Amino acid sequence: MYRCVLYIYQGRLVLSHAQNPRMLSYKCSNMFSALVFRAAGKVSPRAFWTTGVPCCEKEKGTTCPPLEEVKNDGKRTGQLQVEDVELRRTEGGAKMRSHTEEQNNIEATAEATVDDRQVERKTMTGKQGLLELLGTMKVEGTTKRKLKALKSLRSGEEAPQRPKLEAMESTISMFQQATSEAAGQSESLSGELRAAASAVASMLPDSAQAESELLRQLRKHEAVSDTQGKEGQQSLSNIIAHMKVRRKVNGRPSVQPTNQIRFDDDGRGYTHDRGITSELDRIRRRKSPFSGKRLSIFAVGGDQEKDTDLATRPTLWDIDLANQIAQAVNNIPRNGFEEMIQWTREGKLWQYPINNEAGMEEDATVPFHEHVFLEHHLEDGFPQQGPIRHFMELVITGLAKNHHLSVKQKVEHIRWFRDYFKEKQDILRETEACLS
Amino acid sequence: MAQMGKTKRFGLCSAAKQPSSTVSGSEEKIIIPKMKTWNAEAVLQALASTVNRDTTASNYVFQDDSYLTPRTSREFKLYYLSQESGRNAAKYFINTFPRYFQKDFAEPHIPCLMPETLELQIDEVSERALTECIQLRKVKAAVDMFDQLMQMGSPVSLDLTNDLLDLICLYGDQEPAQDVPPEQRTNDMGEKHDEIKIKKGRPQRASDFLKIVWGENNNAERIFNMMPEPNSCSYGALIRGMVKHGSIPKAFIMYNDMLNNQLTADVHTFNALISAAPYLKEKYSEKWDLIIDLLKQMAYQKVKPNVLTFNAVLKALQRCGALGRVQAFPVLNEMKALGIAPSLASYDHFLGIFYKAASQAQEHKEIIQEVLNEVSGKSFAAHDPDDVNFFMNTMKICLDTKDMEQAYKLHSLLDIGENWKLLGDSFHQSVYYGRFFNLLCMMEHVDVVLKWYRELSPSLFYPNSQRMRDLFQALDMDNRLDIIPQIWKDIKRMGHDNNTELVEEMLSLMARDKHKPEVQQSFAECALDVKTLYKQTDYGRVQLNWSASSLSSITLILLAAGRIQQAWEILMLFKVTNRVPSEYLLKQFLDCIQMNNNSEQAVALVQISASFCLPLTSHLIKRVQQEFELNEEQKNTLSQL
Repeated sequence: MYRCVLYIYQGRLVLSHAQNPRMLSYKCSNMFSALVFRAAGKVSPRAFWTTGVPCCEKEKGTTCPPLEEVKNDGKRTGQLQVEDVELRRTEGGAKMRSHTEEQNNIEATAEATVDDRQVERKTMTGKQGLLELLGTMKVEGTTKRKLKALKSLRSGEEAPQRPKLEAMESTISMFQQATSEAAGQSESLSGELRAAASAVASMLPDSAQAESELLRQLRKHEAVSDTQGKEGQQSLSNIIAHMKVRRKVNGRPSVQPTNQIRFDDDGRGYTHDRGITSELDRIRRRKSPFSGKRLSIFAVGGDQEKDTDLATRPTLWDIDLANQIAQAVNNIPRNGFEEMIQWTREGKLWQYPINNEAGMEEDATVPFHEHVFLEHHLEDGFPQQGPIRHFMELVITGLAKNHHLSVKQKVEHIRWFRDYFKEKQDILRETEACLS
Repeated sequence: MAQMGKTKRFGLCSAAKQPSSTVSGSEEKIIIPKMKTWNAEAVLQALASTVNRDTTASNYVFQDDSYLTPRTSREFKLYYLSQESGRNAAKYFINTFPRYFQKDFAEPHIPCLMPETLELQIDEVSERALTECIQLRKVKAAVDMFDQLMQMGSPVSLDLTNDLLDLICLYGDQEPAQDVPPEQRTNDMGEKHDEIKIKKGRPQRASDFLKIVWGENNNAERIFNMMPEPNSCSYGALIRGMVKHGSIPKAFIMYNDMLNNQLTADVHTFNALISAAPYLKEKYSEKWDLIIDLLKQMAYQKVKPNVLTFNAVLKALQRCGALGRVQAFPVLNEMKALGIAPSLASYDHFLGIFYKAASQAQEHKEIIQEVLNEVSGKSFAAHDPDDVNFFMNTMKICLDTKDMEQAYKLHSLLDIGENWKLLGDSFHQSVYYGRFFNLLCMMEHVDVVLKWYRELSPSLFYPNSQRMRDLFQALDMDNRLDIIPQIWKDIKRMGHDNNTELVEEMLSLMARDKHKPEVQQSFAECALDVKTLYKQTDYGRVQLNWSASSLSSITLILLAAGRIQQAWEILMLFKVTNRVPSEYLLKQFLDCIQMNNNSEQAVALVQISASFCLPLTSHLIKRVQQEFELNEEQKNTLSQL
């Protein structure tokens, strides 16, 4: 979609360049060929190619009298117009506005040239030129349709506005369907159009006249679109009923233009350049591929219970798969931080944010007072008074201040003394130390 | 942008669920969590995301030692492997002599720095000993232990037997390869092993499949037959082992057996069977029918498929010809409908279905666009060992279709999240960047090519000589031959200066056209630099041999720069190396001498020409006689020739 808009935009750019009367056609052709050869890697090389080449050929063929140039302009405009009509028919409503704008601009350009030069001659040659052009393109699938569109377009130059009215119709109905704010659109559209028209006119030699011509033409459009719009509002259902929903056409062969045989000499053979139709085809298909039909074997709901992976421990197979994946991916750290991430995962590094209690998880649950108040551990196994009691009180004071030991270790420490004094009970009793 | 960064950061570390307050600065609401629990790596990840790649430096892993700055992908491999093998050697010693490494310095304790126990500790015959054997992956010992237990008449529990079957089937009743040579013990070593294989141009793990063959009546089958009531896990282990080690018909027989016993398979078993299906049947339709049948049975048994299931289906579809192209979309859509996010391997297989050969690439141009539109902007995690092939293969498709736009799209995907990890090991990387660069040289303007060259070349991509020639072609196409001397420096740095074809191509490019005087001078310097290489006899490097074309190219370059004396020296080399100068060269030489009006040299040139017995000699004599002022002696010499 975006690409297509861009493509038309580029086409317009080409047009405006070509219209510049000072620019000789050989220059143009040079420019085109440069475009073609530089096409690689630009936003839309294909678009460049498809527009560039036919134009280029035409330019080369002529020996640049100004009238011929105008004729070519006409042809190109016609071509673009045709494409635009194509587009509008195939596209959904959402992006319609930009297209209509584009189309109007292009039409305006075409008409400006028409008004500037002799109308009768141009229409004849223009029609012929377009026919030629379409012939060279050899788009078999769509030639018929294009020709029809073309005829209506060309006849429209003589008998004013009817085909455009027809063309607008579908657009407007799309408008109505797509956006609710369609009513306000015609006004804003006209403002933009006016700006565009003056821009176009400024490129022409007699700008004031051209602009007024353009604006008059646009006013006609507006009138038409207004009436159409009202109609549309009145009988929305009617329009929807009349809308033709086109099925996407699959498998249309992309035909290689015979006059554009290209051969890449890097050994990869011919490259088939696809024409405008396949470009459009792709846009048509854009929505389809990842939302189409599915196998419909599995039920979508959550009734498949056998998700046993989480329940059971990882088997050897799982470990093996994890290993395979780990080996396959690129694990080489790109900078120091990533290396540190690896070390953190391996457990070699302190974890961020830095916490000085890291690695002391089992102590985290022990409250503070158990570390400090150790008197209750002396309640049994030790005398209530005397030198041993005194000694032990000193011990627990020391232990209370020791932050290197866990509570378990402290209790263990006290227990050791309890056992020790129990062992030495006889000696103590003899010396009567425990009593005094 | 900043906002994006913020949301990303929140996403990184698991934020607490309940939002306390919401700030509505813009349309997007930022939810500030009440309390955040930080992931251990979150800080480091945030910091790492601020570091950009230095395009002029080599990979980070080599920055400690400038001696280890790799110049080619081969050296990259070699240096990286040597670093790893140093680490593994240390590990080997620690594990072999654990008694010397008992002191635990670290506080808190760091388990991975302590020696691992790799020897069996339990000496008795018991289930505990069997468990230990399985944990240490000693296949033979475990089987022996099992047999001893059975002889003693003490039955082994079902779970343990299944674990044993897993072990045997995983390694195909062979000792795991890790245990054979000591340096292959760790996982890094496995990678290394693979890389060495890649160097020989073989697929990564194919040799593993070929090497170990499922033996007829091996221990796994024997133990399985001894089991009183094998459950679905036992069947699963056997089927997976059979598929892995290439006994596919047997796997399907086993599966039928399992169905007859009213057992249901798990998802892994089905995955294995699906991946084996295309090898069982011949016809495309039969293969597909079998796969569909298996999938239906999965649905019937209420087994939930995972991403590997569909990857297996897509991989199998690659072997189903045109049928694959029809069914690929429904399979992917089925994945989506079930809420299973496709991994990169899914897309890789998917594209593989459509782009089998380069000739097909043109027909399905839009498919790659669709796929790249689908994946662009997404961050992927590794779910499948095949994930790493995506970038490499997709770049090949871009190269085949010459689609620069898609190639850029693909390349930009690497910048997102941790996708760069999925580029794979150094082999995959070199192939990927090689293809990308090839495409750039083919399609892009030389300025763009050079920009990419500077961005990729020393830090990520080590172009081989073929890619350098591509670069020369790009330079030639856009008339930027004047930067050849710069490129030559890179070529020397990358060690391609002993590649005769590359050097000769460069010389002929420089000799071909006329350039500005300063460019000619730089060319001449470059040519003299090349000349010194021919003289060098470095130990252990391939000697360059003078060819007629390289000699004449250098002479022409020097002549164009007006360095007649140096050109003369080269001309002398023709005789020494038994090469014959071309007539064009001699004519050019004479023109140059004429400009300086050195009659002596002109006569000497004619003498040289005569010594090669060139038919041009007479013509040269005439010219010299007419155009130069000769003294008597010189006239005599000429008339004698």
